[in-house]
Amino acid sequence: MSTSRQWLSAAARQCRSALTTQQRTQLAQQPPLSRALSTTPSLSAFRDSQNNTYSNTNTNRLAGSTPTTFTNPNAALQDLASSGLNRSGPLTPEERRRVIEEQVGTSGHIRDLAINTTTDNYLRQNQRRWRVGDVYTPRDIGKAEMKKWGKMRAPLEDVVEVLGFNPVDNYKNFSLISDFMTPMGRIKHSSETGLRPVNQRKMAKAIRRAIGMGLHPSVHRHPEILRIKQRGISAMVPIAPTENRL
Amino acid sequence: MSSRSVSPGGALLRSSRMFSLPKPIPAIKNEHAAGSLFHSTTSTLPAPTHQVVTTLSAPRRQGDWGLKRPLPLKSTTKTTNPMLRVRAIDSSEHITDYVSAADHGITLRKFQELGLPMTVRRACGREARETSTTGPILTKASDLPQRSVFEDQYDTTDIPADKRAETVDNRWRFEGPWLAGMAQGSFIKWLAKEVRPKRAEFRQFLKKKLAHEQHAAAAKYAIDKALPAPEPIDASAITEDQLVDYLRELRNNNQALYEMVGQFLDLAPLNPPTLVETGMSGNKIMTLKYTEAKSPYADTGPPITHPSAGLSYLRTSMYMANHPVYGPQKEHIAAPARVVRPRRQGRGMRISIGVAGFIANTSIGDMGNARGTSPGMYDTIDPELPGGVKLWVCPTRATMDASGTIAITVKDSSPEAATVARELLGEADCLSAREAQATRKPESSKEIRQRYRAAPGPQAMSSARDYGLQE
Repeated sequence: MSTSRQWLSAAARQCRSALTTQQRTQLAQQPPLSRALSTTPSLSAFRDSQNNTYSNTNTNRLAGSTPTTFTNPNAALQDLASSGLNRSGPLTPEERRRVIEEQVGTSGHIRDLAINTTTDNYLRQNQRRWRVGDVYTPRDIGKAEMKKWGKMRAPLEDVVEVLGFNPVDNYKNFSLISDFMTPMGRIKHSSETGLRPVNQRKMAKAIRRAIGMGLHPSVHRHPEILRIKQRGISAMVPIAPTENRL
Repeated sequence: MSSRSVSPGGALLRSSRMFSLPKPIPAIKNEHAAGSLFHSTTSTLPAPTHQVVTTLSAPRRQGDWGLKRPLPLKSTTKTTNPMLRVRAIDSSEHITDYVSAADHGITLRKFQELGLPMTVRRACGREARETSTTGPILTKASDLPQRSVFEDQYDTTDIPADKRAETVDNRWRFEGPWLAGMAQGSFIKWLAKEVRPKRAEFRQFLKKKLAHEQHAAAAKYAIDKALPAPEPIDASAITEDQLVDYLRELRNNNQALYEMVGQFLDLAPLNPPTLVETGMSGNKIMTLKYTEAKSPYADTGPPITHPSAGLSYLRTSMYMANHPVYGPQKEHIAAPARVVRPRRQGRGMRISIGVAGFIANTSIGDMGNARGTSPGMYDTIDPELPGGVKLWVCPTRATMDASGTIAITVKDSSPEAATVARELLGEADCLSAREAQATRKPESSKEIRQRYRAAPGPQAMSSARDYGLQE
């Protein structure tokens, strides 16, 4: 991991120096022999192939994607690498992306990875979980509205009222207790839990009782919950008490 | 009659928009999102709550919307779709509170462009019931022809109180709740508030039923023995001991008891649970008796309002779309759909596809789907594509949920249907129709007249040439 990072950062620095020295365009017009013999396609070729796969698979697509032309920094990169130039300095995300694409983005797997990363980055701003029947307008898929769905808020309704249970009777339910505690062991405020005052008091009492009886840790989450988080859903199957350790 | 007693000024006011605006209906409550930590209070609601108000262009320029005072021109004239929802005709600050209603107004227009009738919701989770392992596999419920919500079989509202029990499978409105859709909290509240005060009433109801049963038994016996018909038994003639015995009998017959309770409280029909859902032991399940409900709402609950939701008044989609050039089409005209959120297979999140402003119910992008193998389309966001990924779909049916949300079911449209739809928008060419149109020189009216005058035989006013197929 660390070696690959060093290698990437070295390549990135070279790319940056290539960009700063403005040799990129000149060299891209006259590719060196190493470029011509290289089996790896250039960035623009990658772009084109990407667009082709899109349009081939999507016959029903409404609008075709517009192919963009990028100048190829690979030649400059190789030239500079051979000359041994090595400048330091941080990289912009755009440069880093180009370097990754150029150096390792030639295989299909890495290309998919790059597309996935882009998608993940955009989905991070698109947090709403849509349900069938939701009505949307342009405003709903816009930035301002989407921001609201990415932020955790108190539930609009009192969960205890909806589910109709008494929190004090459930002091042994560590999953419930953990939900109403912070990771540092403090009781969540009603502005976070969304409970009405009566139920908030009952829930606080259940938490205090669970901690006081030694059923729930007072400083962090319950070990069982940590175990499930660590091992996934399969950890929910009960195991022998002798194996019950983190 | 009542209008005669109203003064002319009063009649004028009553017919005015200011007084005829209906009260807003309550917003749809989403039970699923009750405990959700992620929500927005400003997002578009799944159904409108206020009436949409519009006005003609000339009065709009003067701010006249038929309300108490003219509305500000700055915010009401610079819009393509003049639609407002009036939250208060006159507030305590002496202003008219209004916002744009283009969201639901345009959504309604877009829905009506689809040409879909609202259909009765068919069973979705229980499609296995219609397939048999022994005989030939029957069609799935989703493939059967859909029934319109306006058919008499399902759309009966004017029912006398004594006929309520008989028409339970033909109604969509019930006095009582749909028990399977109630959360535990609201169920407990309902028991305490609505059911418990009716104990004495229920005993009276049972007495009436028992008297009716006893009379029926006596009448049958009399017919068998050729005796004179017995007198009808009155409910007051039933003693408390008889009632207690009857109650004990009912307690051991779950189906009979449920029918009694269901009739008394007018509960919405409910399908019996599957064996797994009961969570009971085998020998206990053996004693249970069930009858299947025939109501289309037994699986998902009755709708909160008329199942058409006022969106469409069409009765059927069993017609063939006709194209002026290509003739009858196999599929209805394709509709554009938007990938609102791509699927994330690693996290098991399905794709969200929006049609006409509704998130659609679709199997597009699922594993079993044939076109689900093109990952670029359903899995990624391409920032270079303006407007995001769009595709052509074929909407098949639209139904309303128990909560009041609209589920439009769509399938992938065929490439031909998509091309025809794109051609209508001027984005594609089929059979080089555009070239033919471009080469054809426009005819003057004189030429057309001469052509028809010179035509031998019967005069045809439309021909292949008119549609651009010849020459």
